[in-house]
Amino acid sequence: MVKAFFQKWWRLFLVAALLVAAIQFFVRPPGFSPDHGMGEIGTSVFRPVYKAVDFLRRGISSVWSGYIGLVNVSRDNAELRKDLAALQEKLKESRDAVLENQRLEELLRFSKTLEKRTIGARIVGHDVSPWFQGVFIDAGSGMGVEPGMAVLIPGGAVGRVHRTFSGLSEVILLTDSRFAADVIVERTRVRAIAEGMGGDLCRLKYVSPTQDVVPGDRVLFSGFDGSMPKGTLLGTVASVDRPREGLFLIIRVVSAVNLLSVEEVLVVLSRPAIPFRQGKP
Amino acid sequence: MRPLLVLLALSFAGTAANVWLLSGVVPWFLLPDVSFLVIVYAGLFLSGPLGFVAALPPALFREVTILGPPGSFFLASLAVYFAASEIGRRLFLRSEIFILLIVAGLLAAESASVTLLLVLEGGQSVSALWGAEEAVRIAWTALLGVFLFVDLSSRWQRIQE
Repeated sequence: MVKAFFQKWWRLFLVAALLVAAIQFFVRPPGFSPDHGMGEIGTSVFRPVYKAVDFLRRGISSVWSGYIGLVNVSRDNAELRKDLAALQEKLKESRDAVLENQRLEELLRFSKTLEKRTIGARIVGHDVSPWFQGVFIDAGSGMGVEPGMAVLIPGGAVGRVHRTFSGLSEVILLTDSRFAADVIVERTRVRAIAEGMGGDLCRLKYVSPTQDVVPGDRVLFSGFDGSMPKGTLLGTVASVDRPREGLFLIIRVVSAVNLLSVEEVLVVLSRPAIPFRQGKP
Repeated sequence: MRPLLVLLALSFAGTAANVWLLSGVVPWFLLPDVSFLVIVYAGLFLSGPLGFVAALPPALFREVTILGPPGSFFLASLAVYFAASEIGRRLFLRSEIFILLIVAGLLAAESASVTLLLVLEGGQSVSALWGAEEAVRIAWTALLGVFLFVDLSSRWQRIQE
């Protein structure tokens, strides 16, 4: 009887067992990464895609404006238009190159001010789910990148390395709900814990209603928890709500960096002071 | 063997397209979750070990391209496969609306579970706008699933005949 029941519904039992295991991994990730081998294979399968994305993103605009856009041009002015298009394209390319150079120079200058060893990386892909906020960068364990390392640009913090593979790393953005770090309000030196809350927002936790925090205040990483470099900009306070009941203020902070438009980043190659656990910083 | 290769190519191409499109061209809620569709298809229409083998690569693709806690999305994807397999055995898929409801239901169940876990952890803040975008993603993926499933099923049937 029991055997027959189990034989009939074993798939549902398996579904339940898999879901329990998945939830367990979700809320309490193990110290080891159970899929690291598989992940390595998986990322090696997708690495060409990420590289191709990066390559094509740069090349597609020139292909479009240089060839496809010229298909319907009349013969009379074909040569002139071609010349003009070529010149414009060259101008655009040189503008792009100048802008890229400026960004890279800025990164280089910034990396020198950090007094920590850094490595430049390019963002080559984004998380494809609606629940998490993360990016893939083209620097991996082979270049000394480790989980827990800070990722930033001169304008502010971007996030933290989550998992590394050879030639590729996953970075969780500071607006991801799993991101948390010790921060300080620049004007009043009030300390808090910043936690990602989706969109372009973070929340500040454990700030007493007696503390002085107002919209417009800049929020910096304190460096006390050793996870992010001290003084790096997180963002600006967008709103401060004082709940009638409750011990703490409800503070929302808008990220200083437009995380969707970042193309190049710096990875700070110093190990986090507090041991980093994969999946749950 | 042919269904297996087609599904593998489909899930890889779909996931790769998502990675490509998400890199700044199309908003996330307009991207169908192709890997998810392949897993559900394998559960509903491919019986025995073939279905399980076909579901493994897309489950791995999801694990790799979704930056969730390690292992969780691989296991969740396998759970989706077995759930779809059970549904395929118990239900007679009479029309497209059944497929639409099954895919939308499984997607909604996964989305609600993950969102609930994130909310319970105190991280995710769910806004009405996010909910609307997620509803668009589920509807769009389910709609694509109907066309994909009907097309693939009729093709396999013709090959078998």
